[in-house]
Amino acid sequence: MRRLRAVRPVEVDERGLEVVSFCGHCAMAPEPARQAPPSRVCGHCGLGLVLQASAFLAPRHDEPFLVIDTTLSVCAVSAAAEELLDIDETRAVNKHVADFLVPADANAPGAENLLALLVEVAGGSSEPRTTIVRPRQEFGVRFKARIGPCGPPHAALLVLS
Amino acid sequence: MSFSMRTLKTSEAAALLNVSANTLRAWERRFGYPQPQRSAGRHRLYTHGEVTALRDALQQGLSISSAVSRAREALSTDTHTLVGALAGFELDRADSAMESALALRSVERSVEEVLLPSLDELGERYGTNSALWAFAARWADGWLRRAQRLAAPPVRGLAILVGDATRNELDPDALAVRAFELFCGRSGARVMALPVGGLSGLSDVVESLSPDAVVIAGGHVPDDDVALWAYRVRAAAGPLPMALFRRSHHGAKARTTGTRVLPDTPFGAHRQLLGLLDDRQDTRVREVAALSVLEGDRDHWVAQA
Repeated sequence: MRRLRAVRPVEVDERGLEVVSFCGHCAMAPEPARQAPPSRVCGHCGLGLVLQASAFLAPRHDEPFLVIDTTLSVCAVSAAAEELLDIDETRAVNKHVADFLVPADANAPGAENLLALLVEVAGGSSEPRTTIVRPRQEFGVRFKARIGPCGPPHAALLVLS
Repeated sequence: MSFSMRTLKTSEAAALLNVSANTLRAWERRFGYPQPQRSAGRHRLYTHGEVTALRDALQQGLSISSAVSRAREALSTDTHTLVGALAGFELDRADSAMESALALRSVERSVEEVLLPSLDELGERYGTNSALWAFAARWADGWLRRAQRLAAPPVRGLAILVGDATRNELDPDALAVRAFELFCGRSGARVMALPVGGLSGLSDVVESLSPDAVVIAGGHVPDDDVALWAYRVRAAAGPLPMALFRRSHHGAKARTTGTRVLPDTPFGAHRQLLGLLDDRQDTRVREVAALSVLEGDRDHWVAQA
């Protein structure tokens, strides 16, 4: 049987939104699996696990991002985020997200808003949202951040742009 | 007490984790995990327990870093178990904790990563003058001595004389000294430990052992007594390389006398000492070879003349 290589099935989540896979370190899309069972480890860089998020939320190759769990601990820092925030993933893992990023939206009602949003999203029960954050100890720099669910397992993806 | 630890070659570990061998080496550089030992041929040997702990953590992880952190945490449960067992005066459970540690690690790593840190923790928590410390230190000393008795017979042709300058088995340095002796013995060296207080008959012991190096271990006995012991050893055996282990507060004098100060960890100290002795042995072999070549040349010229 001939296979149509150019045609790739679109994965969708339970809400019918298109879902894409990306590496939690280099953000590259995984290559089609040549082995069974397919590895969760990125075949490009070998330093990240393959995660899934909605196509709107998922980072493009050069976009820095962090993955945060329901306890607000940092679980992954992309290579671009390591460079942008001058942090090392191996040291950042298991630390509180507020050690690295804090809310910078003057219109937001309170600082805990970002953290509440992250907890809600990490539980997998929220639509992707946008907010403004800044690195801790930095006052002149602000980033627009897309926040939404990713996984598996359930976590919050915070993409800086 | 069994010392069976399953190890995996790079290809086997990579297959178990469903990654390439290059990825495994990249993880070792970036995360320091899994940390392989080396075979006699310098090939990587991964501990089965470390690899399976990582495989399980990767299935639930969001990144390699968090999986490594979780795998490390899973392995550290042996330390918690041992601390708990000793704090509860449960000898059987303490023995079991070491058995589980040995299933995942080498004897050296089990001692350095589980036994000694557990004792350190107990010492800090309850004080080294407590009854609990006495109980735990006696158990650990017994465990290390049993392991020493089970070590393979010496094969290296190296002999090390250890001058024990610790107070007694309750001295916090004593366990590190026992571990150092164990590691040297397991590396194929013949090790004899004598308290530095015993001078009578020392020359007979030295003559019988004919040591290649002397290590003064422990910081309890004062310098003058140690110097007297070392003098007697040198008088019997001639000039020998001397090294200090766990005697750091006496290190200033050592530097002026050419005595080496070994690292504070038993594993680091045994590696450095054996490396030094192996270098000396290689030099001696080269010298003998050079001498026999010269003698061969001389015989050749004599025969021609």
